[in-house]
Amino acid sequence: MSNVAAKIGLVTTIPVEVLFAAGLVPVDLNNIFITAPDPAKLVEQAELEGFPRNTCSWVKGIYTAALRHNIGTVIAVMRGDCSNNEAMAEVLRSKGVEIVPFSFPYPRDRRFLVAEIERLMDRFGTNWDEVEATKRQLDEVRALALRLDELTWQTGNVTGFENHIWSVSCSDFNGDPALFQQQLGDLLRQKESISRDDQDGQASIRLGFVGVPPIVTDLYEHVEGLGARVVFNEIQRQFAMPGPAERDVAQMYLDYTYPYDFEGRLADIEAEVSRRRVDALIHYVQSFCHHQIQDIILRQRIKVPILTLEGDRPGPLDARSRMRLEAFVEMCRQRAVARSLK
Amino acid sequence: MIFGIDLGSRAVKIVTFSEDSFGRFQRMDTMAFYRDFGLRVDGKLAVNLEKLGVRAGDVVVATGYGRHNVGMPELDLAAQVYSGSIDVQVIPELNAHVAGAVHQTGLMAFTLLDVGGQDTKVAQVRDGIMMDFATNDRCAASSGRYLENMASVLGVSLDELSRHEESPANLNSTCAVFAESELIGKIVEGHGPSSLCAGVNWSIWRRLRPLVERLRSGVIVFAGGVARNGALKAIVAQEMGCEVIVPERPDFNGAIGCCVRGRDDVGARSPRRHGDTER
Repeated sequence: MSNVAAKIGLVTTIPVEVLFAAGLVPVDLNNIFITAPDPAKLVEQAELEGFPRNTCSWVKGIYTAALRHNIGTVIAVMRGDCSNNEAMAEVLRSKGVEIVPFSFPYPRDRRFLVAEIERLMDRFGTNWDEVEATKRQLDEVRALALRLDELTWQTGNVTGFENHIWSVSCSDFNGDPALFQQQLGDLLRQKESISRDDQDGQASIRLGFVGVPPIVTDLYEHVEGLGARVVFNEIQRQFAMPGPAERDVAQMYLDYTYPYDFEGRLADIEAEVSRRRVDALIHYVQSFCHHQIQDIILRQRIKVPILTLEGDRPGPLDARSRMRLEAFVEMCRQRAVARSLK
Repeated sequence: MIFGIDLGSRAVKIVTFSEDSFGRFQRMDTMAFYRDFGLRVDGKLAVNLEKLGVRAGDVVVATGYGRHNVGMPELDLAAQVYSGSIDVQVIPELNAHVAGAVHQTGLMAFTLLDVGGQDTKVAQVRDGIMMDFATNDRCAASSGRYLENMASVLGVSLDELSRHEESPANLNSTCAVFAESELIGKIVEGHGPSSLCAGVNWSIWRRLRPLVERLRSGVIVFAGGVARNGALKAIVAQEMGCEVIVPERPDFNGAIGCCVRGRDDVGARSPRRHGDTER
């Protein structure tokens, strides 16, 4: 279709196979917002245009990023992400940006998801054969990201931050899956060559991050500086689509936990906490986000210590959050010592 | 000598410990403390330990918002000033307060409620160690500063504010600043001073309650400067239906915890020699 812009903005992970199959370049607006030299300014700009102070900074940053990069078309997830994004997309539309709606069904029903993917295929001019063929190519790239994830918790050769950045980038593969595959392949070869001796760090506290990717810039650095290791990034790992490669596209996006009910996320968290021997969780929540409410259920179900950490604006951790993280890591250490004495 | 320093948002508390007993208990306004004991070292604020009375061989354990000002740059300074070594350790506030509460009460299982100048900490303690904790959200409306402001609006002292819990005027505002306007509205509506003071004490409790509920135990140890508020203590006991213990020195709890930690660490590092004091 000649009127379609080459770059298509994403507000969250969607079946990106459709875009690659159509010869388009997906751009995850979250990533270009948070890696901008001045992410806080992007949030302020949206507020100057009238976005309320008490709404999510991710939404405001995405909005300004789309305009700054002259993104002509944005796929807005109207169900399965956040209702603030829905209103933000309407503001973008009022500024002349084409909004293509996409909804993950609730309940998680294959028929509805298939219909949504077909609507995307119609809009961008592709078909199931091309989309499934694209998935098979992307499977190879995702396999590398999932291998990096394994090395994170099995060997400790990969830091929590490396795991975060590569996993989170699987939403759009930085717009170039071939280059992404090559760079990640190089990194993996380097990581695989490190001896496993003394890398597992049995003495350090093994943490998991659950919740949306953090807006604060130094969370991983700070936590790992306290002598803890992040061995699980819940949502980021989902962006890399863990699960059997032989699934079709619809099944893969049905297995993807983030956009559906919290029960699915909990089952994934429970399994991974056990498999990765996670000592404690950090539940990252964004200020003003509906996911904060799910903290109630998380605490009921997951029986390891949980620190709920709230982030608002892009930038380094505030003094209060640093204090809470330090106290949390020390608490985990004391609990581990007490357990070993029993 | 061990120096426990709690660098709080409203006050700096210093406690010393030697020969198995506590010596000095000193409380200073935070701004005055940094004015009188602050130093510029490489463009950063540091604490002049010498002026505080720290000498070679002493141990300093610090906590609170300003704790890293004690921990970092003045280590070099201390090395220059003293020929001996000064051991400066920095610990998170929650751990300091739990250590202080265990020491002051002798209890090993309780819920610690610490309400300070700008924040609130609640910790669940089992076998003498912290098992879980929660802190107030990004607002000072459940802290001592809120009580100070409200007392000032009412034109009463904190002591007077702390005497009333009966027939509270209903204050609902989430924001500490809006609560002041709400309080003025209640004055205009004709609520008496006692009802207004009680309303303030109940409003802070409503903000604390979700934190305390989540980490409840059979006993609550109530510390921090706000623990001096007798009305709030009575409200906590009534609403939670459990015993509430305010330690002898609630506002020095964090600094006492620092001393306890310093003592334990010194004990762990140096094997006891013949003639050493029994701990």
